Amino acid sequence: MIPFEMLEPKSLRDATALLDADDPTIRPLGGGTALMLMMKAGVFQPSRLVSLRSVEPRYSTITVNSDGSFNIGALAPLASLEHSADIHKHLPVITRTMQVLSNVRVRNVATIGGCLAHGDPHMDLPPVLISLGAKVRVIGPDSERTIPVADLLTGYYETQLAKNELIAELIIPPQNGKRSVYLKCTTRAAHDWPALGVAVSVAGNRDGLSEAHVVISAATERAQRVEQASALLVGPPANDKLFKDAGEAAASAVELIGDSQGSVPYKRQLVRVFVERALRQAIDGGITQ
Amino acid sequence: MNAITPTPGGQVGRSIPRLEATSKVTGRVEYVHNLRLPGMLSVKLVRSTVAHGRIKSIDVEEALKVPGVHRIVTSEDVLKVIPVPYYGPAFHDQPILAIGKVHFVGEPVAAVLASDPHVAEQAARLVVVDYEELPAVFDEVEALKSKTVVHEQLKPAGTFPDLKHLHGVRDTNLALDFQLVHGDPAKAFAEADHVFEHTFRTQQVLHVPLEPYVSVAETDGNTMTIHTASQSPSFVRLEIARLLGWVENRVRVRVPFLGGGFGGKLYIKLEALVAALSLITMRPVKLALTMEEQFYTLTKHASTFRIKSAVSKDGRVTGRECEVWWNGGAYADIGPRITQKSGFTAPGPYDIENVKIDSYALYTNLPPAGALRGFGIPQLVWAYESHTDLIARELKIDPVAFRRKNLLRDGREQATGTVVRDMGADACLERAAELMNWDAPFDRGSGTIKRGRAIAVGFKASISPTTSVAVVNVAADGSCTLFCGTVDMGQGSDTAMAQLVAEVLNIPAETVRVVHSDTDVTPYDMATLGSRSTFHMGHAVRLAAEDARAKLAALATEVGVAPGSNVPIRELFVRKYKMQAGTIVGTGSYIPDYTSPHQGTGQSANVTPFWMVGATGIELEVDTETGHVKITKMINVADVGRAINPKIVESQLSGAAIMQLGFTTTEKMEFEGGQCTNASFADYKIPGFADLPPTMTNVVVDANQHNGPFGAKGVGESGTFGVSPAYANAIEDAVGVRITTLPITPEKVYRAMCAARNEPLED
Ligand SMILES: Cc1cc2nc3c(=O)[nH]c(=O)nc-3n(C[C@H](O)[C@H](O)[C@H](O)COP(=O)(O)OP(=O)(O)OC[C@H]3O[C@@H](n4cnc5c(N)ncnc54)[C@H](O)[C@@H]3O)c2cc1C
Repeated sequence: MIPFEMLEPKSLRDATALLDADDPTIRPLGGGTALMLMMKAGVFQPSRLVSLRSVEPRYSTITVNSDGSFNIGALAPLASLEHSADIHKHLPVITRTMQVLSNVRVRNVATIGGCLAHGDPHMDLPPVLISLGAKVRVIGPDSERTIPVADLLTGYYETQLAKNELIAELIIPPQNGKRSVYLKCTTRAAHDWPALGVAVSVAGNRDGLSEAHVVISAATERAQRVEQASALLVGPPANDKLFKDAGEAAASAVELIGDSQGSVPYKRQLVRVFVERALRQAIDGGITQ
Repeated sequence: MNAITPTPGGQVGRSIPRLEATSKVTGRVEYVHNLRLPGMLSVKLVRSTVAHGRIKSIDVEEALKVPGVHRIVTSEDVLKVIPVPYYGPAFHDQPILAIGKVHFVGEPVAAVLASDPHVAEQAARLVVVDYEELPAVFDEVEALKSKTVVHEQLKPAGTFPDLKHLHGVRDTNLALDFQLVHGDPAKAFAEADHVFEHTFRTQQVLHVPLEPYVSVAETDGNTMTIHTASQSPSFVRLEIARLLGWVENRVRVRVPFLGGGFGGKLYIKLEALVAALSLITMRPVKLALTMEEQFYTLTKHASTFRIKSAVSKDGRVTGRECEVWWNGGAYADIGPRITQKSGFTAPGPYDIENVKIDSYALYTNLPPAGALRGFGIPQLVWAYESHTDLIARELKIDPVAFRRKNLLRDGREQATGTVVRDMGADACLERAAELMNWDAPFDRGSGTIKRGRAIAVGFKASISPTTSVAVVNVAADGSCTLFCGTVDMGQGSDTAMAQLVAEVLNIPAETVRVVHSDTDVTPYDMATLGSRSTFHMGHAVRLAAEDARAKLAALATEVGVAPGSNVPIRELFVRKYKMQAGTIVGTGSYIPDYTSPHQGTGQSANVTPFWMVGATGIELEVDTETGHVKITKMINVADVGRAINPKIVESQLSGAAIMQLGFTTTEKMEFEGGQCTNASFADYKIPGFADLPPTMTNVVVDANQHNGPFGAKGVGESGTFGVSPAYANAIEDAVGVRITTLPITPEKVYRAMCAARNEPLED
């Protein structure tokens, strides 16, 4: 291995200063689960890694506010979300998603920040977070901004982050009784990355929905909201026909990528079926947030 | 043949826990991966990036500049220490490092040595090889006729009589054409009421032991020691000695435990290379492949099987024609043996009077293929049991009844002309049908979920003739040590062999110590492969223990102890040597009777010492909207003779069935221009726990192998046989579509359903 520098700053702000907006060989290190694989495969050769493990402990905490909103530090390991009683109470869709996300070893070290910054469209949490309307607070050496997760992800392994910006925390707004479901569809082994991820979040009942969010991931170049499907769902009686139409709308709206997990026409069929199923589950058995 | 008299020891048939279980779970057993020797160099390979090409130049200049690189070796250096550096069990076709030409993407071209493996890895990336690309051939059926040939000239190893005629043959990819004719197939087809013909294909897959290939060599120039994760230490010694032009006793091969093998770690894999490198550098050399490099080492044959049957009105199969193309990849490895030894079972466990088989071993420009848990049998069963179900459906006969009607039973001739005995195909079929509640009404599902079920039966002959030798030592205190070359790679052979010794000597199996392969001390064994060890080594071990028992009895007589007395063994030694001293050495050697098949007709009066049978029953659900298939129940039944250790037998059956389930549903090496595009376990998916059937029953039928050690025979592969066709047959039963290629992915099922209702999904 070519030697590189490894730094362990004590504060997140200091960490941003050790990064370089123009140098792609310098990167922050969260849990390292994604980064180490890239280094092992030789696709990333760092000159410097800035480890975030020693930054202020508040960046690893999960806080639930009185209105039911959450502030989750970027360094919080996925396992801490998985086991948080508050999350289980207010955002059970996240607790459930953790059960299909990778394995216990990865969840124990992977961080929520790394999970969002990595930009891999196959990740399970981003579509869920988008459907919940989550945002991230991002800091740079002398800047700070808040970006909806839906806008953070801009393409295949691409995000809006500058190379010297860091995700500081994840903010999830109160869900006020919305019901959410995430369906992970694999086409090879069950423990595989998804061929398609579908996250839906709806407010209302069979008489009609007042709010609907349909998000698709994995089969697309980034996790993305499907406005065509969401729009169609609000208003009319929420019957199986409507869900079928929403599936159809989603299938024709999204641009899909064919690969060894499935061809484009097959994935289109999966979108059709899984959007419909996710909506049905959300309205019937879905978990109230 | 050796007469078997069961003894009353009670050790055979005990489900004792594995002898090594505690040391394994506490991390105390030895694996070659953990071996570090003083002064040892690590190797990283530079591999071919083209499927077929001439090497124009190898530029190592930049790579040598990496600090810490010890040396970079190419075939030029190898030729100086090993003038003819080609190896292989059937053909001497595989060079230690590519000489002049490369034959597949991933073939080793140069070896970078450094004390630090990371340094070697970094330097290996900087070696620049320039190729002149040549046309390549990838498909096995095409390879038979192709003008593109992988090797200019065939080089059979000389060990197998049926390959001799291929010596020096030029301009062909055909590494063996096995033929069998039984009865009068032409007449049977001419007179048939029905003729059915189908073609089935299987994909290239790999072994995926959790311990990848690893070997270490050290030499003083006069002797050579190789520590290696090998299933065939005796072969490694022979072949390394041959390559070096040394006598066998100058080469020592040590094999501790293996973290899985499945047929991959047979013959020569990395051993010849590390041996050459240690001679070139005069330093200990270690080569440990990464998980990903397994994709370029050994695979399972892709195959095409055209099968045609003549069937009478009342559902008797009267004739069968089998044409099988085996995609052997760039080097023959043991492929030609698979072509013949498995090839002759291609018509299936059926009583068919008129049979014709053509089985072709073919070279292509893909990574080499060899033995993988079943030695070609799963590819054949996939085809003939799919075909069998298709015929039964077409004739509107219940698939189990159709099989029952045509099954090969004891006393009847198999296609080779060998009269079968102790085959148990009927017992396995009946037991599977019973466990599947075959005669009870079956819930066919509703809505978007459709349910189906099926049973498939396969069989295999033992690879013959092969030899095993064992030694049993009894120390002066009566404790007992077994020296045997069977490699325990997780299958539990140490435990089973200890049970055999214990049975004969009437001692607890737990007290027997088993010494692992070290060719300096353990005697010859052909290899741990093809489910042969329980039978062959089992006999050798039994004979060695019986020899020790006889010598103990002689010792007792000599010191004046009456036969049958309970004087402890240590007392016998003390009476003779006046102190705790001396050793009794029992030896045993075994090779079964065998008649080689006639060249041209494939006929033999005695083609195998025993037959293995495996049947699988599957119930499943198909999601008609997505093609996803979920197994709800799986039954695996086998005839293993008498189970030496029933618990181990059960886990062998389930392990084999799960492995084959991966080959059935998900596993496939994808290629683009000969380049494997999913050479990592992120993209090549093996089954995980979540993929296992919720209920899985693994049982053996009540049986006794008349000539087996204590009635036993092999078990390691039988669980694989029926899995793939049972899965495909059950899918057809559920949704009426037939899949003829593996693996059976949800997309494939969904597409077939679309095509069946005339709404084909575009590509
Ligand atoms: C074997 C395996 C299986 C997996 N299976 C799944 C699965 O089924 N589903 C799934 O969703 N995921 C899966 N993952 C992916 C896993 O979720 C990600 O690897 C993980 O979320 C990344 O988090 P990390 O903290 O380890 O990131 P790191 O590897 O540390 O970093 C990833 C990227 O994010 C950057 N980064 C890290 N932290 C920050 C920050 N605070 N601000 C800005 N940039 C940052 C890094 O520079 C790097 O570019 C799997 C991973 C492995 C290894």
